[in-house]
Amino acid sequence: MVAEENKVAWRLAERVVHNRIAQMMINERIKQRAFKVPVHLAMGHEAIAVAVAESMLPDDALCLTHRNIHYNLARADSLRAEIDELSLLPSGLAGGWLGSMNMANPRRGIPYTSSILGNSLSVAAGISLADRLRGAASVTVVVTGDGAMEEGAFFETLQFMKSCSLSSLVIVENNTWSLATRIAERRCPIDLDKLAAAFAISYRHLQGNDVGDYYRQVQAARQEAIAQRTPVLLEVQLTTLGSWLQPTPEFPEGKFINYHHGAAPKVALQEWPVLEQDAGDPLFVLAQQWDEAALRDLAETVSQRLAEEVS
Amino acid sequence: MTYIEHINSLLRARLAVAQDTVVFGQNIVAGSCLSGLTRGIRVPEGSQILQTQNSENTLTGIGLGMMLRGVSSIYFLKQLDFLLLGMDHLVNSYNIVRRLHAGSSFTLFAIVVDQGYEGPQSCLNNLDDFCSMAHIPGYVISSGWDAEVVLNRHLFAPGLKIICVSQRLFGTALPSWSEPVETDGAGEIFRYAQGEDVTIVSCNFSFPQALQTWRYWQERGLTASLFSVSGASTSDWSMILQDLQRTRKLLVLDDSKSDNRSSDRFLLAVRESALADRVLVQRRRFAPEWLKPNPDLLEVVPAELFQQLQ
Repeated sequence: MVAEENKVAWRLAERVVHNRIAQMMINERIKQRAFKVPVHLAMGHEAIAVAVAESMLPDDALCLTHRNIHYNLARADSLRAEIDELSLLPSGLAGGWLGSMNMANPRRGIPYTSSILGNSLSVAAGISLADRLRGAASVTVVVTGDGAMEEGAFFETLQFMKSCSLSSLVIVENNTWSLATRIAERRCPIDLDKLAAAFAISYRHLQGNDVGDYYRQVQAARQEAIAQRTPVLLEVQLTTLGSWLQPTPEFPEGKFINYHHGAAPKVALQEWPVLEQDAGDPLFVLAQQWDEAALRDLAETVSQRLAEEVS
Repeated sequence: MTYIEHINSLLRARLAVAQDTVVFGQNIVAGSCLSGLTRGIRVPEGSQILQTQNSENTLTGIGLGMMLRGVSSIYFLKQLDFLLLGMDHLVNSYNIVRRLHAGSSFTLFAIVVDQGYEGPQSCLNNLDDFCSMAHIPGYVISSGWDAEVVLNRHLFAPGLKIICVSQRLFGTALPSWSEPVETDGAGEIFRYAQGEDVTIVSCNFSFPQALQTWRYWQERGLTASLFSVSGASTSDWSMILQDLQRTRKLLVLDDSKSDNRSSDRFLLAVRESALADRVLVQRRRFAPEWLKPNPDLLEVVPAELFQQLQ
């Protein structure tokens, strides 16, 4: 039993490392201006993406936002197809039709991705309603953020999902930023726990970037959504890595630039892909849990595999 | 039988056999059932009627989500202007869904609140604009014949479309019409009569005014062709142009408040064809009166038009 659990845990670790290195490789291509489409990297978001991707069953659906690369990588069969999609090639995972901000992969359970804040929420509710009508015992997962949840669609969708008893997971990736403004700079705090309670919806708060913990929590939430025929709201506290200090006349020491999209100029592809020495980095968390030498070997193996795939 | 009783009767018959379809909207099976539009609707087992919350944006997205899963649906709206809240989905979400919808149908069925005295809000009748922005088809139902063709051809047709009915016409009696009515290949244009002297074309919900004019002229010995354009994004005007080739005189009526009317496109086609020697156009012009309660009507005086045409 323990061996089996360790096997699952190691696979989750491998998927997180894979996700990070794949993003770093894409970042290098962005630096070289290889893509015409705007790419929103999600380094720091890997733990929740892997937990969701690994928890999904074949009939489940996952609806995404403009920052979707981590989920698409976690569900895709190949990095090549992802890069080809960003390059708008027919060999891309959507045949070059969707590019970056709408990247979807119905064959791997991602039927819809919206670049419009809040749009994927209601489309996900429609997918969930249709699946229930067809008698499928599946869950629809929809990802949004602390910015998109400010849209009315967020409240409307929770209301509809609850009213229609739709088995669904609403995941709020809370990185505290909406483009260049922090939550405190743009609105009052919103207590999602209380909001969920107002709709009689279960709420889970995920933090710490422990992919094993996230996996168990997403699985439990999925079970609850199926058993109770209800939406479950998960708020994930995370940090979008890749920010940097930009010296300006006003800020000679460097002005803080929050990473939003495009290249992360200070992030370089490296053998050991940890970016931050704290729990904001899921890879740092892995290093606290596993033998670092084993992880470094894993990262090397993953890097070689991905390099061969895209060469 | 009134206009709305006729449409309700047709709807009930079609929904009663609609397989794997979700019919949804606010108050569709409560109260007046949208002034009688959805009164008494039933669906077979396997389909569903959903009485929903007041969330037009989300409900529009839900219909598109169902399309992605191959489930057809009809969303009834009490007012066309409510759909403004769903416009983002019509444009942006459907740009993705339209490539993948796999034959399913999503129909937005809206009432145009054009009976007048609504005030500066709620009286939008610009189906043309919705269809233009979203690049989707739209159809108005102006009479009993239109209703049969539009509901038979378009209610469950694959893809996203808007069908509109006119609140102004709800309580009016269906005009008696014994002559056969012809339809173009797309089910967007209807010819009610064929005359020799002039071609009358009504767009949006101006068919009653067109019919009134046709009858007035008929009584005075002027034979006119009479067309109703149901399609808001019609592009093939050949059925009317062929008629115009004979009459060479044209009267166009359009009560839409849009600045992007289907009659604009029609008149461009007429100009390019050089088939018309005389063209009269009666349309709405934006005026300060629109901003206060008013009759909200395209007024047509057949006698004046008769004079102008001589």
